[in-house]
Amino acid sequence: MAANATYDRALGLIFLVLGIGAMWHAQSLQVAFAADPIGPKPFPTIVGGVLALAGAALLIRPERMAWHPGSWSKVAAVAVASIVYPEVLIPIGFVPATSLLCLVLARALGGGWVQSIIASAITAAAIFALIDVLLGLPLPRGPLGV
Amino acid sequence: MFCSGCRCRAALWGCDVEALTSLAYGFSVAATPFNLMLALVGAALGTAIGALPGIGPINAIVLLLPFCFSLNLPPESALIMLAGLYYGSGYGGRISSILLNIPGDPGLAMTTIDGYPLAQQGRGAAALAISGIGSFIGGTLTVVLLTFLAVPLARLAVSFGPSEYVALMVMSFALLSTMGGGRMAKTWAAIAVGLLLAMVGIDGGSGVERFTFGSLELLGGIDFTTLTIGLFAVSEILVVVEGLRTGKVAEFSGGERLRTPEVIRCLPAMLRSTGIGFFAGILPGTGAAVASALAYTAEKRISDRGTFGKGDMRGLAAPETADNAAQTASMVPMLALGIPGSGTTAVLLGALLLYSITPGPLLFTQRPEIAWGLIASMYIGNVMLLVLNLPLVGLFARLLLVPYWILFPAILALSYAGVYAATNSAFELVLTTIIGVIAYGMRKLEVPLIPLLIAFVLERLLEDNLRRALSLSDGSPVILFTSPFAIVFWLLAALVVLLPLIAPRFRARVRDLSEGEES
Repeated sequence: MAANATYDRALGLIFLVLGIGAMWHAQSLQVAFAADPIGPKPFPTIVGGVLALAGAALLIRPERMAWHPGSWSKVAAVAVASIVYPEVLIPIGFVPATSLLCLVLARALGGGWVQSIIASAITAAAIFALIDVLLGLPLPRGPLGV
Repeated sequence: MFCSGCRCRAALWGCDVEALTSLAYGFSVAATPFNLMLALVGAALGTAIGALPGIGPINAIVLLLPFCFSLNLPPESALIMLAGLYYGSGYGGRISSILLNIPGDPGLAMTTIDGYPLAQQGRGAAALAISGIGSFIGGTLTVVLLTFLAVPLARLAVSFGPSEYVALMVMSFALLSTMGGGRMAKTWAAIAVGLLLAMVGIDGGSGVERFTFGSLELLGGIDFTTLTIGLFAVSEILVVVEGLRTGKVAEFSGGERLRTPEVIRCLPAMLRSTGIGFFAGILPGTGAAVASALAYTAEKRISDRGTFGKGDMRGLAAPETADNAAQTASMVPMLALGIPGSGTTAVLLGALLLYSITPGPLLFTQRPEIAWGLIASMYIGNVMLLVLNLPLVGLFARLLLVPYWILFPAILALSYAGVYAATNSAFELVLTTIIGVIAYGMRKLEVPLIPLLIAFVLERLLEDNLRRALSLSDGSPVILFTSPFAIVFWLLAALVVLLPLIAPRFRARVRDLSEGEES
């Protein structure tokens, strides 16, 4: 894909909005009591200002950059699996949930179905054994006890 | 060497003897069987993780930090293990750089230039050996310098008040924005985002909630392990999934072994590169990427007879030595000033903060077991790594043959297990993923992540000092610019930021040097 300046402009706009948002949020802080005369407002205001300035600089003078597109669908699949993972982790337990997460990632990285299923189950079980059983750091145990 | 309080030669000599006794004390901490074992485990795991394609030192430390913390290791032991991981992964990182042409870390980008051709010529084993020796020499000589420099620097820093600290940190950020590679505006934005993320939660000074958006989970702030795993582990995996990074493993067994004359021929290059690496490493913001680039360029200018880039041993030894020297030297500002100069030292600093230990000049007097135990463990770690690496490098290299679809699911699962073990909260896992996805977007848009991490770690120190300084002066900002040290720091900061704007050619050269800075 050809190099173009849109990415820098969009990024600059995001930083500008975030910076102004931070400054605005800082002004809205209600201080009932502060141990020091300065309080919690000025620092986020300054930092928000720096962010807004950096954003404005990118917006005004964007550089052309190339975006190298990869396999979007795979990235999205792994990201969605990772978002869902914490939701199911406690209900179904570490080993089943992690096996499913690993399965999605293994498939996205080109493993075959059978290979990926076996590898994911072994990985999840091995990590559970290492962390929970051996090191004694508790991981969520679902209805299956693992 | 400047030594506050004692300016005559005899007294200066006294300081050095003091350094030696402290070092001896450090060895008594680091050489207990338990800590030796942790250093060995750290070094071995670090080499193994560092050897994985695309995974650099920072990923290795980030992956294991939550476990160190949840296992309730004493702080000096945790730090010894993390430091073992740190330089272990530096040794391991060269394996994928040389055999696979994939640098796991910007500091290793120069290693591929002569390393990969050597591997293609069937001299992979020799290339790994010479870079191991270079890493050892760079690392060890720098620890010696660190031993004698850290305390005088810390003594100097003890006299710093809040306004000097504010100026010093702003100067570090300024150096980061010009020397760190990447566009200046993007680096400043990353610094600001890091500072803002660290402000999330209840403000210690006033009890006011900042940037929590009414979320109960965010009251305590963003957890350090959540941030680092999201920034480095999750985003790295998304980059791998995207599938743009491919490589073919070069042959490493067999081939002509490294000969002694070859090592001797590389020695001058190694010594020069140690010097370059040391100076680049102690400056905040420059670090290993700039050090190895400078060392390679310098060595090419001195000894190139048309062989550099085609598999010259010296072209491999120079950046490898400088990389390790800079890695170790970046411990100097971390230990003596409490200000990290690189992403990895920022993680180590964050680890100390998790233990409620404030790093900085007083660390040497108040918690000598941590400061000197860590320094002593670096001597031990370097020897361990050389012994571990020369015979076993083939074993570590075999890790490159493990297919991605086995390797990366295991890393992702370990990352989430780590965050869960450290926080016991499913919410933190969601946050980890969100941070990971955003960090992936930032990498695609060439926004550097290291400055964000450093800023996140420094926020508390910076804001506290700013507020302390301003309350001393009843709110007048003039106090920030009154002491001589503070003025020097401000002037340097201004110079570093303005020089590239005035002289674009200088800027272009710095960017060429630190090409590839991203993770």
